[in-house]
Amino acid sequence: MKKVKTLILRTAGTNCDYETQAAFELCGAVVECVHINTLIEKKDKIFEYDILAFPGGFSYGDDIASGKILSNEVKNKLGDKFKKFALSDKPIIGICNGFQVLVKMGLLPEPKLFEQISTLSYNDSDKFECRWVYLKTEKKVKNESNCIWTKNLPDIISLSIAHGEGKFIPNNKKLLNSLNKNNQIVFRYSSKDGSKPEYPLDPNGSIEQIAGICNTKGNIFGLMPHPERYVFALQHPAKEGFDGEYGWGKIIFQNAVDFVK
Amino acid sequence: MFKIEILTKKGFKNSHGKHVLSDITGIGIRNVIKVEYSPLYIIDGDINFVEAKMIASELLSDKIIETYTVNNHSEHDSKSTATFNCALFVVEVWYKTGVTDTVSESVMKAVKDLGIIKEMKVKMGHKYYLYGKISQTVLNNIATKLLANTLIQEYKIK
Repeated sequence: MKKVKTLILRTAGTNCDYETQAAFELCGAVVECVHINTLIEKKDKIFEYDILAFPGGFSYGDDIASGKILSNEVKNKLGDKFKKFALSDKPIIGICNGFQVLVKMGLLPEPKLFEQISTLSYNDSDKFECRWVYLKTEKKVKNESNCIWTKNLPDIISLSIAHGEGKFIPNNKKLLNSLNKNNQIVFRYSSKDGSKPEYPLDPNGSIEQIAGICNTKGNIFGLMPHPERYVFALQHPAKEGFDGEYGWGKIIFQNAVDFVK
Repeated sequence: MFKIEILTKKGFKNSHGKHVLSDITGIGIRNVIKVEYSPLYIIDGDINFVEAKMIASELLSDKIIETYTVNNHSEHDSKSTATFNCALFVVEVWYKTGVTDTVSESVMKAVKDLGIIKEMKVKMGHKYYLYGKISQTVLNNIATKLLANTLIQEYKIK
């Protein structure tokens, strides 16, 4: 059976790399955490991998704005390689700080454009928000998600969030309409019953409660919540999960590994 | 030397300003009605105005929700210029000389990533616009209790 090789990109301030590695390994992937300086030295190394992950953390101390310095570095030093990887339809995930990097670099929501056309800004509360939240999975393509990462999920799941800058803002109404029309909105913050949430269940005031988006093809996925922190039922405060053992986050990583196989 | 100010565009929430206003109310000061916050950067080195503008637009500001001025000069039209023109009081907070400024070190690394390989020094500061009828004593109170850690930072009221 094909070995699915995953690259987890790390740099100063990355702190969710090991958890993300564990999540992919649980799903059968072979994982390497690679420092960005290594990739800059060997620019084609990225093409040795099937999946690319931008993990959570506080890259470069969140200085200037979260994800800004890493996105600037990747785009200026490795931009053409990352764009080529993205357009080859291989799965890419950005979790929390990784989502901020994907958006600010311009790989999301449209890698062909490769321009920043949306942002993740300060939470409305101006505070770091850290808790479990409910997420509504958008299923508008044959009652399934458009995103390869989020197939086979129930309508409502819970995941944990931990961020200060998670308010998703598109640059205009036209883009928002296009994200809706092209089924690029993957997760929305929700109440337990699926209704529109108020703070604190809506942790940041994102436009239309957007918590995660994908590109039109569905291979590039960015989300503020942390699926790698819920791969076992044991990690949930009420020990909820599926098959008595696993958390919903595992499905997300499993989908990408199975997609490559 | 270039002084770059990052401004929130009209129509977007200045979250940190609102938070500071809430903190001011929290210490019992009621006559401040609005606070706006802007990050400040001073770049001193062998760069020109075009490079300073590039640093401001590509690195220091978020093009979706922010705009910028370089040495108080903005090329943006009124639609994208923030509404700070009628501030009653301005407080700037800077690190004291000798205090390590970690953000500035990150900015210098990021400027190099942009392709501008030149010797420079960077300072990062904070600018607060306070609207309301505020006495000098109250202003000093707000600055020392909330805006500046006077052990490592100094503030100027303008």
